[in-house]
Amino acid sequence: MPTPKIEYGILAPVLVVLAAAVLAVLVEAFVSRRYRYVVQTTLSFAAIALGLFTVILNKDVSGRFAEGSVAVDGVTIVLQGTILIFALLGLLLIAERGFQSFTAQASTLPGSADEQRALASGLQQTEVFPLTLFAVGGALLFPAANDLITLFVALEVLSLPLYLMAGLSQRRRLLSQEAGLKYFLLGAFSSAFFLFGSAFLYGYAGTTTFDGIKLQITTSPGNDLFLLVGLAMLTVGLLFKVSAAPFHSWTPDVYQGAPTPITAFMAAVTKVAAFGAFLRIFYTTIGGMVWTWRPIIIAISILTMAIGTIIAIAQKDVKRVLAYSAIAHSGFLLTGIVAFNKSGVGATLLYLLTYGFTTLGTFAIVTLVRDAGGEVTDLNRWSGLGKRSPLIAGIFTLFLLALAGIPLTSGFVGKFAIFSAAYESGNISVVIAGVLASAVAAFFYIRIVVLMYFNDPQEDGTSVVIPSPVTAITIGVCAVATLVLGVFPQPVINAVNSLAMFVAG
Amino acid sequence: MNPYVPILVIGAIGFGFAIISVVAGYLTGPRRYNRAKAEAYECGIEPTPPAAGGGRFPIKYFLTAMLFIIFDIEIVFLYPWAVSFDQLGLFGIVEMFLFILTVFVAYTYVWRRGGLEWD
Amino acid sequence: MSLDNYLYLSALLFTIGAAGVLIRRNAIVVFMCIELMLNASNLAFVTFARMNGSIDGQLFAFFTMVVAACEVVVGLAIIVTIYRSRRSASVDDARLLKL
Repeated sequence: MPTPKIEYGILAPVLVVLAAAVLAVLVEAFVSRRYRYVVQTTLSFAAIALGLFTVILNKDVSGRFAEGSVAVDGVTIVLQGTILIFALLGLLLIAERGFQSFTAQASTLPGSADEQRALASGLQQTEVFPLTLFAVGGALLFPAANDLITLFVALEVLSLPLYLMAGLSQRRRLLSQEAGLKYFLLGAFSSAFFLFGSAFLYGYAGTTTFDGIKLQITTSPGNDLFLLVGLAMLTVGLLFKVSAAPFHSWTPDVYQGAPTPITAFMAAVTKVAAFGAFLRIFYTTIGGMVWTWRPIIIAISILTMAIGTIIAIAQKDVKRVLAYSAIAHSGFLLTGIVAFNKSGVGATLLYLLTYGFTTLGTFAIVTLVRDAGGEVTDLNRWSGLGKRSPLIAGIFTLFLLALAGIPLTSGFVGKFAIFSAAYESGNISVVIAGVLASAVAAFFYIRIVVLMYFNDPQEDGTSVVIPSPVTAITIGVCAVATLVLGVFPQPVINAVNSLAMFVAG
Repeated sequence: MNPYVPILVIGAIGFGFAIISVVAGYLTGPRRYNRAKAEAYECGIEPTPPAAGGGRFPIKYFLTAMLFIIFDIEIVFLYPWAVSFDQLGLFGIVEMFLFILTVFVAYTYVWRRGGLEWD
Repeated sequence: MSLDNYLYLSALLFTIGAAGVLIRRNAIVVFMCIELMLNASNLAFVTFARMNGSIDGQLFAFFTMVVAACEVVVGLAIIVTIYRSRRSASVDDARLLKL
């Protein structure tokens, strides 16, 4: 038996981040409380930056590594770069100390003397940093996985820290814990489906590698029962992760209950990672069965857009509106899967890039609107914000317009690319549904804008706090990216399209 | 050489170790009798009467049990490795060393954070 | 005995688990049902490993066991925290986050 070969250099982005996560656990154990925050933030940012550097070093790599279990190609490079950029911005929000977003000690009872003591002694939540790094490590591996085992392990490394992070909120702790519980139970439920599907795919192909499954599909035509069962259940697991209907019901609850910086991180990073894996599996592994899966994905895409946009209209909480908007965007992104052509890959990657910046920026602004009790997420209390703090309201408007897909914002560029890819492939139904859903969605985005500018401010203590540098940087970067990608997108489009190639089968 | 000879040898070593430990403990250990010594179980819970709170286990068991499960299950990876480590050469040893190192990182975290203390 | 029977058993266990998740209300029991689903997958994996004559399925079963253990630790931590703050582990009581 030859010794297995691991290409450490090419896997470096994943390895660096995971090594830093392990190191961060040691920091939690040995560094005294006073210095932990400084050490943890330094370590996390350094790890993400180093990861980004190694991704850039890999930019010309294309092939299968680690005994064929990881595929690093143009698509992986773009996705890993995107994930690391969003992780960096998300970490900036998490590192914000002024808002006390995270409970000092997650194990203390809400409202107990222990909690008061932990608060009074100025304890800082720093365990969130290793958890974030683990999640980022899993997210980096997830779209690169070329083997069912790697895919499953990456999925869990990505998900398990997020379950805990969702329950860490300092204010409204019961709500936050409940979000953690729901996310965990439904996530574990879906990963059981994912696993059972993997078992049947393995039974069908006799191997767990994507290449083996692909080969089996191309060499033995016909719909094998094992293949169909396996594929259906694997898809359920993936659809849950991207919060597509009818597996979306966890999204609003978790987005609302989780601490807002975590919501921002989760909304951007997990969406990129999950759609990355989605792309690889549907475009390469089971690309030979496109006539089988395309009608199903079309139906799910249309359903997801419809549910996301229609239910969002009735929401009264800004975080829930954004959660339903995230669901609708999953529907739009699924049209990129439906397209199943060369431009579909590039369009999906571009959409993920534009969407991530916008959603991170939106949630960053949600952390700024506060009263004495913490964040104000009730939409009615946002009225008149435009008169009170025009700059923040203006930037928020920019993000909302980008989410709606108005021209001259990044959202339009992404939507245009993804719908034209689907149109090119001849799937008109999904394009029509997408345009209709965008029109309906524009209604509730504009409604928030109207609320901010044309209603009178309420005198109930709601105010926009002055952001500290870390949050300000995040908002600034996201706003600039949203504008630049909207006005002058061509260099980025070219770069993404030139890289958007899967490794040859 | 008969392939079963190494098994016999390791059996003898194990048996000898057990006997030597017991005898050494008997010969060298201090003897201080007290009530706890005379009880049925020196460690663990008393079978009767039920614990306070209607026979429920204290929450401390939860932590210990969880830690046990984690470290217990991680060892599962040692089995396939043990079967083929002679063919994997240096690579296998380095990789397993790294794996055990990460498990120990978790262990030190638990230890430093007081997860192994009962009170 | 035909190996198919193991697959039937696995599918049956998976279905029992899935039904339990949907029907039961105690979070711990729901979680146990999820574990049953994971174990049903494991049974399918080792059966397929035997049918295909390859060892990958057994390997996957190892990974499933480890991941299931990690899920237990994370999940029970969340459930115990919830129980301590509201003296109830019923998933029906977790309804603060409704529209």
